[in-house]
Amino acid sequence: MPPPVKDKQPPPLTVGEFYKRHGEFLQLSLQGRELGFTIPIGEPSINRPGLALAGFLDYFALFRIQVIGNSEHHYLEQLPEPVRLERFRLFCRQRPPCIVVARDRQLPDHLLAVANTEGIPVFTTGMISMKFINAATIRLEWDYAKYVTLHGCMVDILGMGVMLMGPSGIGKSETMLNLLDRGGQFVADDSVVLKCPDGKRLFGTQKPEGRFHMEIRGVGIINVFALFGSRCILAEKQLELIIDLLPPDKLNELDRLGDEILEREVLGVKIPLKQLAVTAGRDTARMVEVAALNQRLRSTGYETAVEFNKTLLEKTRMNDSHNTDYHI
Amino acid sequence: MLKKDFTILNKMGLHARPAALFVKKANTFQSEIWVEKDDENVNGKSIMALMMLAAGYNDSITLQVEGADEAKAMEELGAIINAGFNEL
Repeated sequence: MPPPVKDKQPPPLTVGEFYKRHGEFLQLSLQGRELGFTIPIGEPSINRPGLALAGFLDYFALFRIQVIGNSEHHYLEQLPEPVRLERFRLFCRQRPPCIVVARDRQLPDHLLAVANTEGIPVFTTGMISMKFINAATIRLEWDYAKYVTLHGCMVDILGMGVMLMGPSGIGKSETMLNLLDRGGQFVADDSVVLKCPDGKRLFGTQKPEGRFHMEIRGVGIINVFALFGSRCILAEKQLELIIDLLPPDKLNELDRLGDEILEREVLGVKIPLKQLAVTAGRDTARMVEVAALNQRLRSTGYETAVEFNKTLLEKTRMNDSHNTDYHI
Repeated sequence: MLKKDFTILNKMGLHARPAALFVKKANTFQSEIWVEKDDENVNGKSIMALMMLAAGYNDSITLQVEGADEAKAMEELGAIINAGFNEL
């Protein structure tokens, strides 16, 4: 029994890391002093601080990025100056990680001074607040997604992310090499990092330390990118099928019709699973490819075994008016 | 199932040559072999996985073996780690 796989949570992003990673995409530029860049963003979410600016500070979402949109901007503008200063100061004293002003607006100097005094960096973005909030949230969810590292290889076969799992030495890497020749794309070898940003889908990638590298016993460690080129590489892919490669003695235990719904659960997401036996004389790569193609067909709603059986039943006239929706 | 903690004793840590040495020995055993560092568990029979663990000097790792020859595996692999992968 392999040891239980532990889910991990990446550490929270600091403001500086957020700016570096997503600044360009989110059209961010720093307004005022460069400070507070090491402060972590506690929650992968954006907050509109309307209530806080109106003086209601209970339950304030202080771990989130704060965005000053149209309504916040106009609200602040119409406040008498001393009130505006006081409210903004109280808001900043909650110590949120940073403030982003939308629509290319800038915070007036007196408010910028308050923010910077409290150690909070201020950014502006060309995006409108709605778009900024949507885009930034998606990126943050991705960065904060829980992840797990599993032993196996991952390859893209005709647009489908497939993971090969199985005991050491069974030929996962060698099979993948074969698949690369047939147009497959290398995602990861040996250690696949799977992350779940939305609770529904898994995305696989290789650990950065091992990027592009693969071990072929007898040959050694090879660099797939250097040998086969960029056409064969994919940085990240959604996982849609897991294939267990089993030793030859398991041949007779395999699913013969292909209608058994086998699944493996990873990070709470159920992924379809197929089991194949590796035996001499069988082209493992070809079988893996066909399994992927069949899975793709299945996801369009066509269940080969069921359809075949329907035709069979019609032919043998077992299909009378009571049995029109007979299933296996 | 046997589990034991070890410390990396050689200065260069678990880099390519020690990983190859460890993996070659690990593959001679029938048992499943797992190496853990910082809550991350990898297959001890895979050289890529071991190297990507990036275990350095003084890092603590846990060896877990399970199978018919687990006692022998733990003893021999443990000896390799404690000898600093012959780099001491």
